[in-house]
Amino acid sequence: MKFTWKIGGEAGFGIMTTGLIFSKIVTRHGYYIHDFIEYPSLIRGGHNAYEVTISDQSIGAPKEKIDLLVCLNQETFSLHKKRLAENALVIYDSLDFSISEKNYQLVDIHFQKILDDFKGQQIMKNTIALGASLALIGADLQELHQILESQFGRKGKEVVEFNQKFASAGFDQVREKYASLIKTIFEKKTVQPALVITGNDAFSLGSVVADCRFYCAYPMTPSSGVLTDLAAWQNKVGLVVRHAEDEISVINTAIGASFTGVRSAVGTSGGGFALMVEAVSLAGITEIPVVIFVAQRPGPATGMPTWTEQADLLFSVFSGHGEFPKIVLAPGDVEEMLKLSAEAYNLADIYQTPVIVLSDMFLSESHQSLLKSNFDDFANSYQVKRGKLVNKPSTNPYLRYQVTADGISERLLPGTKNYFYQSNSYEHLEDGHSTEVASEVKKQVEKRAQKEITYLKNDFQLPKVYGDLEKAETIFVSWGGVKNIILENMGQNSALIHFTYVYPLDSEKIKPLLTKNKRYILVENNATGQLGKLLMMTTGIEIKEKLLKYDGRSISCEEIVRLIS
Amino acid sequence: MSLVEDFSGYNPTWCPGCGNWGIGMALKTALANLNYSPSDILVSFGVGCSGNANDFLNAYGLHTLHGRSVSTIIGMKIANHKMPVIAVVGDGDCYGEGGNHLLHAVRGNHDVTVIVHNNSVYGLTTGQVAPTAQKGFKSKSTPFGIIEKPLNPLSLALTQGASFIGQSFAGNLPHMTEIIAKAIKHKGFSLVNVLQPCVTFNKIYTYPYFIQHSYKLDEKYDPKNYDQALVKTEEYVKEKFALGVIYQEERATYTDELSQLKNASLVEKDRFKDFSSIISEFI
Repeated sequence: MKFTWKIGGEAGFGIMTTGLIFSKIVTRHGYYIHDFIEYPSLIRGGHNAYEVTISDQSIGAPKEKIDLLVCLNQETFSLHKKRLAENALVIYDSLDFSISEKNYQLVDIHFQKILDDFKGQQIMKNTIALGASLALIGADLQELHQILESQFGRKGKEVVEFNQKFASAGFDQVREKYASLIKTIFEKKTVQPALVITGNDAFSLGSVVADCRFYCAYPMTPSSGVLTDLAAWQNKVGLVVRHAEDEISVINTAIGASFTGVRSAVGTSGGGFALMVEAVSLAGITEIPVVIFVAQRPGPATGMPTWTEQADLLFSVFSGHGEFPKIVLAPGDVEEMLKLSAEAYNLADIYQTPVIVLSDMFLSESHQSLLKSNFDDFANSYQVKRGKLVNKPSTNPYLRYQVTADGISERLLPGTKNYFYQSNSYEHLEDGHSTEVASEVKKQVEKRAQKEITYLKNDFQLPKVYGDLEKAETIFVSWGGVKNIILENMGQNSALIHFTYVYPLDSEKIKPLLTKNKRYILVENNATGQLGKLLMMTTGIEIKEKLLKYDGRSISCEEIVRLIS
Repeated sequence: MSLVEDFSGYNPTWCPGCGNWGIGMALKTALANLNYSPSDILVSFGVGCSGNANDFLNAYGLHTLHGRSVSTIIGMKIANHKMPVIAVVGDGDCYGEGGNHLLHAVRGNHDVTVIVHNNSVYGLTTGQVAPTAQKGFKSKSTPFGIIEKPLNPLSLALTQGASFIGQSFAGNLPHMTEIIAKAIKHKGFSLVNVLQPCVTFNKIYTYPYFIQHSYKLDEKYDPKNYDQALVKTEEYVKEKFALGVIYQEERATYTDELSQLKNASLVEKDRFKDFSSIISEFI
């Protein structure tokens, strides 16, 4: 059972907060949600919308039809009516605009009149809409009242009660005038507590679990949620957050902190990452771990800041001049984001090299439910693995860049008494001093390359296979945030190969997955099929059939369904 | 008791007579005089002739990228604010490529010392003009003379909030040693601008030129007087160079203001594990 609620209105009037409150209330009733937002890169004006899909099972993508649309203005109805389900519920205000279509169940709430009667402000339309929506889906009002209390409690009882009045007004009007339309599908169940988090929140939580102690960033949509989370938590958690003057400073500051022994990360989107790549190369040759969170948005250049795309995969894979190992991970939903971002810190420390965690706007800014018990189990069992970071070297003299079988050398914590060394951006000898001697240069190039081989042997993970590759007629191939859209719409006769450890890839291990006598379809939110190119580069196998979308919107359910029907 | 020799790495490859020799020796002497050992200090090197000191100075060192040293030392200090942190950089490096980083680092009053080898040319790339050269300076990249006015690093740092500004001359080892030691001891952002002849590529800003154009601040000079310091820093672009501590102010440093560093440095502190206290906002 799935049900989709959507609210729309003018930007700047609280749509985003309203949507999140709806998601939380439904989650507190014992259901799972996935939501996403649509907004222009403006603070006021333009159209904002928030869509929540509710299910009694875990869910990670929107569905095709809207079951309840809340129109805070006429534009919302005209923009979204094409997606309304048969007999969908539409909340609107007949005093504001009229709806002539007859194939919907209209719920006429006189927002402006309620505001006038109770002397409310425009923003309280949202509270009325929430009350009315909860009544229509058969939920109770208690959770909303509680949220309003925690939101406005600081301002005193009167303010709380004033806001609650608007919630009750919407709720009661539905109960009185539209009792026959009320659904009973969302009655409160025994609740296993769940978190309602975005991909950005999941990266922030993963970072805290992984003992990240320094986060540096320059605000850039859609990655800024991480900066907001970690900056707010810094005193409680004991990490330091620096909002630096530009992304160049951001990553170099993080490299300085990481050199000194502190787990460090940076976050940005494509344009900011472009400024960082010089230092990605620095981290590569100096062998300093750093975790880089890149939340993709449509490019090139400024592109469309508030929409989604997956077009920076190859840019990430090839970021930085020169040749050095790097690891690129791309989680597909919030749970994978939590786990892989925490894992990124371990991999960065073990391989002493940059690790990039790729997200996209759709994953970064959409909420999903995550059972609290899942979070707790993961957080409490996570092991911090710092690889060969040592307080005392095992050899004398200490060689920072000692050639070893696995390519990884001991990294001595700076400040350790009786020792010193340099980490060097120039090509260097095993002891760190600069060199241009051919044989020594070759040794270090090969030593660094060996780390990639070690990674592929010890830590690389095969793509996850959903469904049965042998029985499936169609095999979808994807990476990152499009995972659940495919998974929830591909039907019984399909399977999905979903890559999260996207670079480097082990050709021999993945070839068998791609050479079955089946119909393969590559699904990516970009125009050129970048994972397809990467797979071709690694394995020589080309996936010819592709579903590529590059208009800033996520792949839709119908686009998947159409391919298999 | 530590010795100057403890800090000596490889023999420098600088040109005979280069001002870098003096600056390198002054830094090592200052560190020895302050009784540090190479294990006690964090040093970040830029890229250029000055940055090549990475191989000549023993310390926990990080040879970074051109222009980025000032950003890396901020990270070093935040990670372990109990260790002294120094950047060894050039004028093209710190005032040109990394100018934006310097501007914002001084605002933060990070407790670090930035030693700028200022010779007004790019020596390592064979003598192109640096942003500190006087208008009209001819070089490989400006054969008809540079059009821009010179950047004034001293007044720039002063007006943006540097809490220590010192200036010295590469030809005066005792003076450099004294100013560098004072800069390292100062709690807050310290800029030491060292006037340095490039004997190979700069035939104008020579040892005699600097001797002629510089003078020592006398004992009556009060470095706490901001207005007076502003006048002194303005002399820089008039080719009149005051040597000494031009400005010094006591002010909370960046890490002083981070309450999460009160009990232990970031690198030493215990791991945070009370995850339930941060997830409640998501329920």
